Amino acid sequence: MTAVKEQDVSDAKILFEVRDIGKSFGVTRALDGVSVEFKPGELLAMVGANGAGKSTLIKIICGYHAEYEGQILVEGKEVQFHTPKAAYDNGIATVHQIINEGVVPSMTVYENLTLAKLLNPGLPLFYKKEALRIEAREVAATMGLEIDLDTPVDQLPQSERQMIAIARALAIKPRLLILDEPTSSLSDKESERLFAMLDRLKQLGVSILYVSHRLHEIGRIADRVIVIRDGKLAKTLQRPFQVKDMVTAMVGEIPKHSFLADRERGIDDTNTQVELRDVVVAEGAPPVNLKVRKGEILGLTGLIGAGKTELAQVLFGITQAMSGEIRMAGKVIHPRNMSEAIRAGIFYVPEDRAENAVVPLFNIRQNMTLPFLRVFDRLGIMDVNSEIKRCREMIGAMGIKCEGPEAEMDSLSGGNQQKVVVARWLLEKYNLVILDEPFQGVDIRSRHDIGEYLRTSIGDKSAIIIATDLDELIEVADRIVVMNNGAIIGEQEYEDIDRDKLLQLVAQEKEIQEREESAV
Amino acid sequence: MSSSTVPEVPTGSVDQARRRPNSERFKRFAIRYGFLIVMATLFLFFGWWNPVFWRPANLFSILLGATVYGILALGVTFPLVIDGLDLSIGSVAALSVMISAYVMVVLDASGTVAILVCLMLGAGIGAINGFLIVRVKIPDLLATLGMMFLVQGVQLIPSGGRSIGRGAVLAGGVVAPGRFRDYFLFLGQGRLFGIVPTAVAIMLIVAILVFVILSLTRWGRVFYAIGSNSQAARLVGAKVNTYRMMAYILSGTIAALGGIVLAARVGRGDVSSGGTLLLDAIGSALIGFAVLGVRRPNPFGTIVGAIFISMLLNGLSMMNMPYYVQDFVKGVVLVAALAFTFGLSKTKG
Repeated sequence: MTAVKEQDVSDAKILFEVRDIGKSFGVTRALDGVSVEFKPGELLAMVGANGAGKSTLIKIICGYHAEYEGQILVEGKEVQFHTPKAAYDNGIATVHQIINEGVVPSMTVYENLTLAKLLNPGLPLFYKKEALRIEAREVAATMGLEIDLDTPVDQLPQSERQMIAIARALAIKPRLLILDEPTSSLSDKESERLFAMLDRLKQLGVSILYVSHRLHEIGRIADRVIVIRDGKLAKTLQRPFQVKDMVTAMVGEIPKHSFLADRERGIDDTNTQVELRDVVVAEGAPPVNLKVRKGEILGLTGLIGAGKTELAQVLFGITQAMSGEIRMAGKVIHPRNMSEAIRAGIFYVPEDRAENAVVPLFNIRQNMTLPFLRVFDRLGIMDVNSEIKRCREMIGAMGIKCEGPEAEMDSLSGGNQQKVVVARWLLEKYNLVILDEPFQGVDIRSRHDIGEYLRTSIGDKSAIIIATDLDELIEVADRIVVMNNGAIIGEQEYEDIDRDKLLQLVAQEKEIQEREESAV
Repeated sequence: MSSSTVPEVPTGSVDQARRRPNSERFKRFAIRYGFLIVMATLFLFFGWWNPVFWRPANLFSILLGATVYGILALGVTFPLVIDGLDLSIGSVAALSVMISAYVMVVLDASGTVAILVCLMLGAGIGAINGFLIVRVKIPDLLATLGMMFLVQGVQLIPSGGRSIGRGAVLAGGVVAPGRFRDYFLFLGQGRLFGIVPTAVAIMLIVAILVFVILSLTRWGRVFYAIGSNSQAARLVGAKVNTYRMMAYILSGTIAALGGIVLAARVGRGDVSSGGTLLLDAIGSALIGFAVLGVRRPNPFGTIVGAIFISMLLNGLSMMNMPYYVQDFVKGVVLVAALAFTFGLSKTKG
């Protein structure tokens, strides 16, 4: 079966092709001479570090950049993609990384799913809502979406918005579907659903361009992998893929990072920095007990909805615990709001930097110093020079690639933007810093930079890194704690990390519930 | 495979690369200084048409013309910065005119009392606006629109709908005992050192204060952060609601100050004094987006915008344009200025 399919793929006529695509922004050469063929029914994965030029290539193919060098060919004929509509009319649908650009938050699920229909000039002025609703239900069913169709999208979690954005793209029946980091906010189960759907699309002959940082995932689902590095096509890989090959092509040889050695150091086994005793996060949630040692980076994992973020929000004073005790270096604290948490030295880097962290109007310096403006306040007036000085230090320490402290945020790649919003909380001494999904849509290099800086600067303080992706945690954490259904159900020290066992803990949600139910 | 096309593509791209920075630089220059160049050109043109335009007396009268709505515009810059809007400023200023007249003429109290009462009323109305928006969660446009109507009604109540001037006859047939104090009138009609109109000086002081707060202090930084991404501001521990509340209190207080200057200029409590203040003020602040092409509310732009509107009206009336084209011209300028800034910079990415 698979053999036959592969035969089909290689023989099939090439539908889309880009040749010698190049693009410059000012003096920066973002893309240089990239040629790619898209075959019907093939899932082509594109990987590369942040800032390598992946997004630029996507934006050219989907008509966002009016000016580019090189050619785009559809069925062998050259076409000009100067507007998104031109790409759209040629059957190219794109789901961008920023989910909220793909959905209309104020509209309901069914309105979102049928938006393309609503904009269709053929639709009568007074259309039948019921007909659209039926259609929306069909789309939802094919996607395996189990959502109330009348829920406004802004009340849904990111993962479901993501599925809706993809469903919307499919509504135009694309011949080439571009997915930019589609699984970055999906749980494993939701990802599986997405993969199953992509399989179905492949059978229908749709070409798929799939961009992701999750290399294991790509290794499983891709038919072919292209690696972009510094604006050039660095390598094309064929099945079977080795993750090591992809990484090597992406970032060159990774220097053997010193994490392993450092892990031995640092941690003070006898001293607890933060302790949670029977903390109940919300009505009906199980009590949580957790100790974080001085000098420790604790990895907290679990599926979306396992209660990781909720726990962080209690620590940061966004919400209040129902009961229980939080101790910081032995003293009981109960942050009633964020200011109190910050005063207690608890800092929080929220997930989804575009929505929760980046101030787009501000440059790097202004973004970085935002939580600690008081430090730079001289009799009411901001001391911009010392801001710049401090910001320069952080740019150097974390390896932020930018023109300088005064560069705009949108001139940075995603990974470097992430470094800025992490750096803002490392400006001042913390007792506990919590990073919530800090590696979402962040390339390996940036991930290393962030992890390494955290490790070298942690001293006798503590950090919690929340991530759904186990591999990210295994890279940086001293200990990994698994949450499931609001409870902590397991933990492993770094020395005896067993990936499969952890995965089993993460995924066993259903079984536990079922066992408990049958016990009752 | 791709080597055959290599010789051609680079030459083309080099040409483009050479051309692009120049046009890019020109565009950036146009966005930054385009508005100021248009303003300077008009300044020269009006003077060339009629040299009286350039006389110091006329230049001062241009500045004087901009003072009241200029002050209001500076105040409304705060709500604009936090991505809100305050539509009640015009009626707050009008209320301030009536109340200062009432306090001095009818109650025969001092000018200082009148000023304090007005400022407190302005702050109070701003606080109510803030409460409605932050706590009751009414959208800013609707809350302040409602407040605008409410205040318009309130200003008529003390005097029973009549204007208040010296020797006004009150409801019971009694002649009002007080009058506008001289030092109060000085705020609107006097000149510092015999040269600079006091009202202009007040406007400049307010402008400097607003500039210092918004551009140099950490509070200003937080105001702007809230306007750009309030969720991010909240998550760095900023007390977002307090700041939003403050923005409306400042806007209301400064609007009341504008009303005081207006009352001092006119010297009587005129029921129709609100007039076009609201639209002129918001127009000035919006034109301010285009000055230096920053695309966001800023005090320097606001003050330039206010002076620009006043200069335009002054120049046009010197060219004997009928008064009824004034609003039309103001609208054209506003739309053109916004189209220019936002339209040009849109294509940046």
